[in-house]
Amino acid sequence: MKKFIFCLGLFVSAANTYAIEDKYHFDSAEREQMFKELTHELRCPKCQNQNIADSDAVVAKDLRDKVLTLVHEGKSKDEVIDYMIDRYGYFVHYQPPVTPLTILLWVLPGLIVALGFGFIVVRQRKSAQVQPWTDADESKLAELIAKYEQREQQ
Amino acid sequence: MNKKVLGLVPLAIFILLSVFLYQGLFGNPREIQTGRLGHNMPAFSLPDLMDEKKTWTDKELQGEVYLLNVWGTWCPTCLAELGYLTELKEKGVKIVGLYYDQAYDPDFGDKFDVVALREEVNNMLSRAGNPYAFNILDLNRSLALDLGVSGAPETFLVNKEGKILVHHTGDMNTRVWRAKFAPAIQELTP
Repeated sequence: MKKFIFCLGLFVSAANTYAIEDKYHFDSAEREQMFKELTHELRCPKCQNQNIADSDAVVAKDLRDKVLTLVHEGKSKDEVIDYMIDRYGYFVHYQPPVTPLTILLWVLPGLIVALGFGFIVVRQRKSAQVQPWTDADESKLAELIAKYEQREQQ
Repeated sequence: MNKKVLGLVPLAIFILLSVFLYQGLFGNPREIQTGRLGHNMPAFSLPDLMDEKKTWTDKELQGEVYLLNVWGTWCPTCLAELGYLTELKEKGVKIVGLYYDQAYDPDFGDKFDVVALREEVNNMLSRAGNPYAFNILDLNRSLALDLGVSGAPETFLVNKEGKILVHHTGDMNTRVWRAKFAPAIQELTP
C-alpha cells in the first residue's frame, strides 16, 4: 500500500513539473486555447510525424515562438495558419485544403460504399425474383429425392 | 462478356494500388513543396557574419543570380557539401551563406560569442573549402523561418529580381545540381 501511495505521489509530482514547463502567459483564456490548438494542429517540418507542441526540434521551437508572438499580436487562428502555410507550404498544417486532387480522398470512400450498396441491392433484387415453378419441376424434384433416399438406404 | 470484365475489376484495383504503393517506396518525404517558391526573397536586414558593422538587405542582393546556402558549423552534412559548393563557385556560381545557428535562444539566457564562432567558421572553411562570397548571420533564425527553412543544409536559387526559383532540402551534389538547379539556370540565360 505504501509503495502504491509513493508511486501515486510520483505521478502527481511528474504531472506538476510538466505543467510548469508548459507555462506561457496569455491575456485571455481564448488566446491560450488558440495557442494550444495551433501548436497541436501545426506540423513540425523537421520531425514529420510530430506537431510543433510535441517536437523538440529547433525549428519547432522557433515556430512555437512565432505562433506565440502572432497570437499575442491578436491574429486570428486562420491568419496564423496562413502565415505558416505561406512559408512552409500546406505540409505544415495537419488539415490539408480541399483541392481538385485531395477531393478524391473525400469522394472516393463514399463512392466505394455507394457502389457496394448498389451491388448488394441489385443482387438482392435478382435473387428475390419469384422463380417460375411448374408441376413438372415438382415431380422431377420428388423423383430426385426418392432416388437419393434409395441410395442412402443401400 | 460482362461477367468477365467485372471479374477483372479486382485485378485492376490491385495493379493500380501496387503501382501507387511501389512509387511511394522511392518518394522522398523530405522533399516538401514549401510556400516561398516562386515568391520574392522576404525582406530582411541582417549583419555580416565576419563584420557586424556591415548589414545585408534583400535589396542589396538583387541584380545577380545566386545560391543562398543555409548552413552551420554544427552540421556534418554542411561540412560534406562544402567541397562540391566550392567546385560550383570555381565554375562561376555566386554562393551566399546564410549562417543558421543551431540553438541560440535568448529565452534561456544563452550568451552568444561571435568571436569564437568566427574562428570556428574560418577554421572549417580553410579546411574544407570556402564557397561563400560572404555570410549573413541569422542568429534568431528569423530569415530562415521566413524562407520556410526547417534545418540545415538547405539551398535556394534566387534570380536577378530576387525571385526564389528552387528550394532544395539536403546536401548539394552533382545529381541534385543536374536535376534541379541546372535546368532552372538554363531557363534564365537567354
